[in-house]
Amino acid sequence: MGSSMMGARIRRREDPQLLRGEANFVDDLKLPGLLHAAILRSPHGHAAIKAIDLSATRAAPGVVDAFCLADIWPENPPAIPVLVGVESMLQCPQYPLAGQRARYVGEPVAIVVANSRAEAEDALELARVEYTVLPAVVDAQAALHPDAPCLHDSAPGNICARWTQATGDAAGAIAAADIVITERFKMQRYTAVPLETRGILATPDAVSGELTIWVSGQWPHTARGITAAMLGLEERRVRVIQPDVGGGFGVKAEIYPEDVLIPLAATRLGRPVKWIEDRREHLLGIAHSREMTFDMELGLRRDGSILGLRVTIISDHGAYLRTLAMVNPSLAATGLTGPYDIPNYSAEVICALTNKSVCSPYRGAGAPEATFARERLLDVAARQIGMDPAAFRLKNLIPPEAMPYATGLTSVEATVVLDSGNFPAALRQALLLVDYDGFRARQAQARSEGRMPGLGICMYTQLAAVGPHESAEVRVDGQGNVTVVSGAAPGGQGTATSLAQVVADQLDVPMEKVRVSFADTARIPFGTGTYASRNAVMAGSAAMMAAKRVRAKAAQMAAHLFECSPDDIEWQDGDARIVGMPGKSCSLANLAQAARPGGSRPEGMEPGLEIRHYFETHAVPFSYAAHLAEVEVDPATGGVKVNRYIVVNDCGKMINPMLVEGQVVGGIAQGLGGALFEELAYDSDGDLLTTDLFSYRLPGTLDMPNVEISHLISPSDLNPLGVKGVGEGGAIGSHGAIANAVEDAIAHTGARVHQTPLRPSVVWALLNAG
Amino acid sequence: MTVNGRQLCAAVPGRRSLAEFLREDLGLTGTHLGCEQGVCGACTVLLDGRSVPSCLVLAAQADGCTVSTVEGLADGDKLHPIQAAFWQEHGLQCGFCTPGFLMTVYEFLLSTHGPTEDEVRRALAGNVCRCTGYQNIIKAVMAADLMWER
Ligand code: FES
Ligand code: FES
Repeated sequence: MGSSMMGARIRRREDPQLLRGEANFVDDLKLPGLLHAAILRSPHGHAAIKAIDLSATRAAPGVVDAFCLADIWPENPPAIPVLVGVESMLQCPQYPLAGQRARYVGEPVAIVVANSRAEAEDALELARVEYTVLPAVVDAQAALHPDAPCLHDSAPGNICARWTQATGDAAGAIAAADIVITERFKMQRYTAVPLETRGILATPDAVSGELTIWVSGQWPHTARGITAAMLGLEERRVRVIQPDVGGGFGVKAEIYPEDVLIPLAATRLGRPVKWIEDRREHLLGIAHSREMTFDMELGLRRDGSILGLRVTIISDHGAYLRTLAMVNPSLAATGLTGPYDIPNYSAEVICALTNKSVCSPYRGAGAPEATFARERLLDVAARQIGMDPAAFRLKNLIPPEAMPYATGLTSVEATVVLDSGNFPAALRQALLLVDYDGFRARQAQARSEGRMPGLGICMYTQLAAVGPHESAEVRVDGQGNVTVVSGAAPGGQGTATSLAQVVADQLDVPMEKVRVSFADTARIPFGTGTYASRNAVMAGSAAMMAAKRVRAKAAQMAAHLFECSPDDIEWQDGDARIVGMPGKSCSLANLAQAARPGGSRPEGMEPGLEIRHYFETHAVPFSYAAHLAEVEVDPATGGVKVNRYIVVNDCGKMINPMLVEGQVVGGIAQGLGGALFEELAYDSDGDLLTTDLFSYRLPGTLDMPNVEISHLISPSDLNPLGVKGVGEGGAIGSHGAIANAVEDAIAHTGARVHQTPLRPSVVWALLNAG
Repeated sequence: MTVNGRQLCAAVPGRRSLAEFLREDLGLTGTHLGCEQGVCGACTVLLDGRSVPSCLVLAAQADGCTVSTVEGLADGDKLHPIQAAFWQEHGLQCGFCTPGFLMTVYEFLLSTHGPTEDEVRRALAGNVCRCTGYQNIIKAVMAADLMWER
């Protein structure tokens, strides 16, 4: 069998439609009789709701419906469930609308449905809500103080979960260490901000009795299950379809109040209802992420070997716990040791509630936070013991002969066993590419001229896909066309192209014959979705195995037709023939025709040249990379320019390196934004200050360097393709690499970097302190 | 108003933005709304040949003007060289920002031949892409400069 497509840089089949402006994002869908929803949101960070009067709203022009929580659920409203929990976790659920208390600015309080979006928004202004403002707490440390206002009676002291994650004896190792380094690092609150906001269109189908929901999401099957359960509907009567998605990066794998409210409105009215989040609502309500503080103690031997690491993580969760609330702190606590040999480790995790928007995974989910804290700490440690930061890392990286390496840690997602790779080789290659020794000489020279270049090193490992399964159906029809239905739900990753490559390879057909569709609960009964860098590993393996089984079935069918043994069938250009008998062959199309119901088949064979395969696994691969960032700080303004960026990446085998590199560079841009300027900033009343794209600044063309990428390839044994996920890696490595580079640039002045973002004003203040 | 070469006449409410008019009234949904705050550039169209954020222009302001949108770029089945270059260089991922970039690039390359990378980066500074990190977009513009006979 030819393997011509695996590893090929193939142009994406998704692109022509997108380039022509003919894609179908949820806001592009039009249905007759369409109504538009708008959401009334709490203007207060913390307030008791005394009364809600929607009478003027209901009477406004164009309004067809308006309701608050009590109108629908006078008691026992359905809560958004937590899907992965930890034992100590307390119940702090969010309901579709705030009832007696609003706990963050932007929390939905009521909904209006009207003939147009403008009328719905006008009518919102007529709603009368009587609030009693309560004291808000917006800082996680402050929330843990005994005198802090309490958000939920169910979580005294505002702690919603607390646990320890450990391996070996960290306390003993630190007590026995020659040198102990103690540091605190803090990462700010920031998030994905996909260019397409969220959007939902729900419509009841009078003919089928089904409710169809189009949603800009990442996990249609999960969304169907939860929405149906919360609305008390039969799951089989709810169909969720994901159209084109303008970026998700994790934050669209969540259940938000609107995911329940819009289908509910459509069901009440018997008409299609659409809601498109505006950018202000997006910044107020989208899952926030990253906000963690790390108090760290690192025990070292005098020669620079790491003996143990002890950490306290305070994770800011915002006002409620939704579906994946525990993922970020769990992956941070199990990711802190990364690619290093740290046998004695313990992390205490404290999850705090604050009057801010609710937190959930964003690209990397705990790993960027942990990586930033660890890599900062390693730089501090190296300086303290007088070692070069690269040499210090090389000394402590897990050597290739120790792989696979079981850390002894298990997160809410998976057991952390680093399956394959050569971490020191990646770092050495990156150092070579940047001409590390030469850089130090250039840096010394530049400093003598008053300039401030810096180089930051960052190594990370990433959980590169999670189970428990992904689905794929591969079907060959009588025309020889191949249809793939996948349970994945991509939003720009190019997964249609990569799955077509995989399937075309297995069936030895031209890629144009293969059509791939996704993310429709009516097309395939189970699906998991797109998050945790899982498409290549999980959807790719499911598609590969389904195609492989279709091929085997086709061989049996050919043997049946030729009256020979399946072992005597060989394939030539996609056609089956008997070994050594070139004259007689049968095309895939003919085999598919022969396999139709009602035809003659081998005993026991199901009709149809089609297979549905579930790739099931709990073992996850880990990919890794070395990131080096070269920056220059402007001493006059504190501005940081990233001039050069080098990545040595290892995500196992690659289906399409062009797509891999696209993911890496895109992720780096997001981490760069986080390191240098992105922040969801609140004032002390819990008011979000960054509600537009001026104040929440995203990286632009002038901020990003060209990234130089090279690959190591350590195939994974955990899936038939040998691949590992890569989607999150760029964002995991770049925040830490750039923060380290900035400190390297200014360290000679005595300035130290303990938190981000490193805006010009912050760097200037560091340079001019004291 | 003339939109992509077609003359049309419509009455619009005063508060209808040009973007809404294109999307809702004309069904030209290739023009995307990423912020409606004038920052992201996803809604960029050409108004009398100049790139503007159509979220900040009222439809009524475009009275009598010529408007070009992404739907007008390709020549039937044949992609415009800028589109072809974006395809070739993997200059898009989710594609939500892409129509705005294409229109900005169209205006830029029409008046600039053989730009430097720095000039390209400056020309595109008003368009945000959250997926690609820009590297392949810049490459695509450099390629389009060579591919587009103009
Ligand atoms: S939508 Fe017009 S600039 Fe963003
Ligand atoms: S390709 Fe997604 S925003 Fe640019």
